Amino acid sequence: MRAFRGTRALTWAGFLSTVRSKAALFWTMAFPIFLLILFAYIFGAGEAERVAYLMPGLWTITVISSSFFGISMSMVQERENGTFRRYRVSPLSPIALVSSFGLLQVGILLSSLLLQGVIAWFWFGSRSAGPIWVLILVMLFGIFAFVPLGLLVGSIARDMKTAPVLTNLLFFPMMFLSGAAVPFFVLPDFIQRIAKLLPATYLVEALQGVVVRGEGLLQLGGPIAVLLTTGVLGLAVNSLLFRWESTQPLKKSNLLIALGVLTAIYAVAFFIAPDLRMSIAPSGD
Amino acid sequence: MSSPIAEIRDLTKDYGTVQALRGVSLSIESGGIVGILGPNGAGKTTLVETIEGLRTPSQGRVSVLGIDPSREPRRLAERLGVQLQATELPPDLTVLETLRLFRAFYEKSLPANEVLAAIDLTEKSNARNRTLSGGQKQRLAIGLALVTDPELIILDEPTTGLDPAARRDLHKIIRSLKERGRTVLLTTHYIEEAEILCDRVVVMREGKVVADGSPFELLQRAQGGSTVWIRVDKELDPVGLFRAGAQPTGREDDYYRFTTEDPAAFVVALGRTLQEGNLTLLDLRMKRPTLEDVYLELVGTRSEDGDGEGS
Repeated sequence: MRAFRGTRALTWAGFLSTVRSKAALFWTMAFPIFLLILFAYIFGAGEAERVAYLMPGLWTITVISSSFFGISMSMVQERENGTFRRYRVSPLSPIALVSSFGLLQVGILLSSLLLQGVIAWFWFGSRSAGPIWVLILVMLFGIFAFVPLGLLVGSIARDMKTAPVLTNLLFFPMMFLSGAAVPFFVLPDFIQRIAKLLPATYLVEALQGVVVRGEGLLQLGGPIAVLLTTGVLGLAVNSLLFRWESTQPLKKSNLLIALGVLTAIYAVAFFIAPDLRMSIAPSGD
Repeated sequence: MSSPIAEIRDLTKDYGTVQALRGVSLSIESGGIVGILGPNGAGKTTLVETIEGLRTPSQGRVSVLGIDPSREPRRLAERLGVQLQATELPPDLTVLETLRLFRAFYEKSLPANEVLAAIDLTEKSNARNRTLSGGQKQRLAIGLALVTDPELIILDEPTTGLDPAARRDLHKIIRSLKERGRTVLLTTHYIEEAEILCDRVVVMREGKVVADGSPFELLQRAQGGSTVWIRVDKELDPVGLFRAGAQPTGREDDYYRFTTEDPAAFVVALGRTLQEGNLTLLDLRMKRPTLEDVYLELVGTRSEDGDGEGS
């Protein structure tokens, strides 16, 4: 109960800080809109159907960039500048603290995604082939998968020097190999196989399934299972790697467990994932 | 009242090859202000952070409010108020929002406006933290230590880096905590601060306690004599004073100057001398050793050979 009170208060404080910071507002609201308009006109010529086809990739980019560069960075920063240290001498639990970052990130991300969706709908007249509620559910699954990964980076990175290195290492493969930035079917076969190791690929696949192919939850079972597994394992590993202070060493054994778990996620994804339907080029029927 | 609020036994703390604490024992009774005084690198911060549960002892025992801080830091935190040497406040929150945030962490807490009044920041309650002055920030940092109305309040160098007026404001706030029956443990490297603020001063040097007592008691330990200046209306025959142990150290203007280890005996002898010589005492001045003299004797030097302790 009290843990919940602490989380709620911290989430609210984080919300107020975000709303009051021009930089934070830009990255969470203006940038996603900017990205959408850029994508829509450059790659989609502003046409409703082509923009709809681009949306899954765009949403995925928004999810991964926001998860990795949003909270993970502010976590590292607050740990480095001693804000966490002050919390440490209060009864606040690590879980309550990390949860507040997660909740705030979920809220920010969901509003960014919906904002992009609303603009695509009203400005470009794009429509989703599948029902909106399935679309929102898939967005939530995606957020659930990636926010813990962002938190993980925030826990592992030692300071503001190593954090961007780590995030970029994860971000760029996910952005370019997952089919988010480049249509998946144009990627060579061996790249597609590597892409199956990345959770982002399954988010693009699931979103495309709803928006482009009009698939329901059952047909999207495979990718959704991968996303949920990623989220659950990400959360579990987070509790192993939390640090109050950047001077505290990470326990090697915990780091190994974390790496093992992440490897497991991808291996599972690699073996059980169904063939990705987005690997087939649209025939234009 | 009888059992101590904090009990430290033979505490040592090593950082690799550096020994920050080398066997500290300390018992802190409830009520009053206890100051830990020492130069940078003396181990003050390590000591208070071990009491707060931020650091684990290498050896020895620590018990605070009956709790082992390294075992149950969160249970202790519920009853402990802490101001760290550096407190980073969320820059875009207001003073009031910051207090409310911290209130949410505790089982029981004081109303925010009561805390604001205690730290004299009521007028600033809607100001963003980034706009506060150094003194105001520090008052808020102390306010965060007070939200749960703790029995023990630990302040790590609360006045370092503040201007004299801000420092005086903080002293007032710290005294008011004592008046409300709280126990305050603070670290400082300002001797004057320890002297005017603290009921008990613990002097540390190189990870050890080298003196412990009220400022008055510490003064008693002063070695080296008092200097006495006297002015009389006629020529003085100092033999009686010499017999009482006084040393002549020359004349200054119309004054005779002596040093003495025993000011009481000096005054008695002076009375007799005056009576015998039929002299009138026009003026008497005495300079006793200050706490600063005692402190410098104890820690050897006032120079800061900081080893990066704390921060």
